[in-house]
Amino acid sequence: MAAAPKINREPSFRDIDRSVLRVMEPAGRAYWAWVGFCFTLVGIAAALWMRQIYSGLGVTGLRQPVMWAIYITNFVFWVGIAHSGTLISAILFLFRTKWRTAVYRAAETMTIFAVATAGLFPLVHLGRVWFFYWLLPYPNERSLQPDFRSPLVWDAFAVSTYLTISALFWTMGLIPDIANARESATGWRKTFYTVLAMGWQGTDRQWRHYSMAYLLMAGLATPLVLSVHSVVSWDFAMAINPGWHSTIFAPYFVAGAIFSGVAMVMTLLIPMRKLLGIEDLLTEWHFDNLAKVVLLTSLVVSYAYITEAFMTWYAGDPIEQMTFHMRYFGPWGWMYWVMVLCNCVIPLLLFSPRIRVNLRALWVITIFVNIGMWFERFVIIAGSLTANFEPSQWASYRPSITEIMITVGSFAWFLGLFSLFCRFLPIFSMTELKEGIVWLRKALKMDRVTAA
Amino acid sequence: MSTIAIIGSFADDARCANAIEELRAAKVGEFNTFSPIPSHRIEHAIGRKKSPVRWIVLAGGISGVLTGLAITIGTTYEWRLNAGGKPLLSWPPFIVICFELMVLLGGIFGFLGVLGLSGIPATEIAPGYNGRFGEDRFGIVVRCDEAEAARVESMMRESGAEEVVREGV
Repeated sequence: MAAAPKINREPSFRDIDRSVLRVMEPAGRAYWAWVGFCFTLVGIAAALWMRQIYSGLGVTGLRQPVMWAIYITNFVFWVGIAHSGTLISAILFLFRTKWRTAVYRAAETMTIFAVATAGLFPLVHLGRVWFFYWLLPYPNERSLQPDFRSPLVWDAFAVSTYLTISALFWTMGLIPDIANARESATGWRKTFYTVLAMGWQGTDRQWRHYSMAYLLMAGLATPLVLSVHSVVSWDFAMAINPGWHSTIFAPYFVAGAIFSGVAMVMTLLIPMRKLLGIEDLLTEWHFDNLAKVVLLTSLVVSYAYITEAFMTWYAGDPIEQMTFHMRYFGPWGWMYWVMVLCNCVIPLLLFSPRIRVNLRALWVITIFVNIGMWFERFVIIAGSLTANFEPSQWASYRPSITEIMITVGSFAWFLGLFSLFCRFLPIFSMTELKEGIVWLRKALKMDRVTAA
Repeated sequence: MSTIAIIGSFADDARCANAIEELRAAKVGEFNTFSPIPSHRIEHAIGRKKSPVRWIVLAGGISGVLTGLAITIGTTYEWRLNAGGKPLLSWPPFIVICFELMVLLGGIFGFLGVLGLSGIPATEIAPGYNGRFGEDRFGIVVRCDEAEAARVESMMRESGAEEVVREGV
């Protein structure tokens, strides 16, 4: 058995730089095999999408009345995954949360790639993808314009704003770190980092404007992140379809987004900690706090499930009640109960402080949360469409291999991009780790993570 | 009398801020600082006003709201769609677009503002810059007359500089 790595529990600024920059050293064959595997899956998904564009949406399992299914589920799932990044980078920044410094860059990077993945799905879902720009207003000779009363148009604005602002916020945080990486790099990497650092030198003038802009960007990103998933939820809630038409959708979706997003951060960080040898940057303190966020949001989501059921019963609308009866006990009822198990029951284990620092247990729990949250979206989106107002229209849905492989491809695309980022750009913020070095030292001294 | 640069390197921002306060009180030459992290101590010691980037963000936010109103109202009048007898100008949905554009333009203006005000992209390295200032050292570069050099050096050493060197400018 390999000896446990010796962890420096009193790191200096220089030690932090070394730990972060070590992650960016040239990778071995196993890494490239993994990246190659991911992009092979992306290639297969892209080929199937091409075929779908050529043949039409008939190659999918989408049939009336279930015209929104796996693709839109994936869109909502990936937008949700993105939310934890902004929570950690912007909202917790405004609250001056100390533990966020070690995890914020990884979470923010996840946000960028998750939104980039999510943004593909409305396009994949389009029958004639080359007309995607019809969602946006532009001058045309027929004076045709989108209807701003439609939540789909709000969504186009919200998601594209979210991607742009997250990318700018992320880039801003990266500049001082890339400048730092530039100093020790050699060869093509030196040129690469020199160009990306844009001449950053850390002068008082630069830091003064940077700090103010960073604070304001965090202030802008905070309401933005809450608005984006609210707008996504209104894609459903604004329709009169039973199972969708609910006023609780916005907070319910935002809580679910943060829940799934933080779980995904943990799913990625736990193996990364071991594989990249960064035990000296990620401690019990970080995982314990992330687990508490997962637990809290799990309770909020559970409360939303109960409220949703109560409102349906109390309102007394027979169609709505029938939809929910189908959701709980219909042919797809098992999905609902898988979702309850993964999102409401299993996370209760996080009440145990011992489990919150057991990385193996945490990893398994967060994977269950990811599965549960994917099912939640599927149950709400496709499940609600199977049983509509008219029983004569009821129909089931079976995903085609095209939809399944494009879904698998989206995970590969996300993981492939994330893996590439880890090796070429700083996945931890050296600047922020140094700013919070006192807290990191305290955390390292108390660290007793098990089953690493 | 020729101008020279004196570069002091400090192990922490407290000592660096002390030296800045001493130099400001003595009114010797112009100075510039480098640090691996933003430091409130250094910012207070230098005593500059708050960054004007906040006004740029405000301007971006206001432009975003106005752009949102122009797009929603303009396109609605261009394509007059009667949806269920609702008023032509449906303000609540327009708020969503105005809000998103406020954040979008506020953020873009802020990002470009910080680049412009910070002088980046920069192709030249500031005199006295050293890679360690991005890593773990805080630096002060004073440009002064050669006659004052000895005084500046001793002020930096007394404030706790680890290393003080001279460079021609």
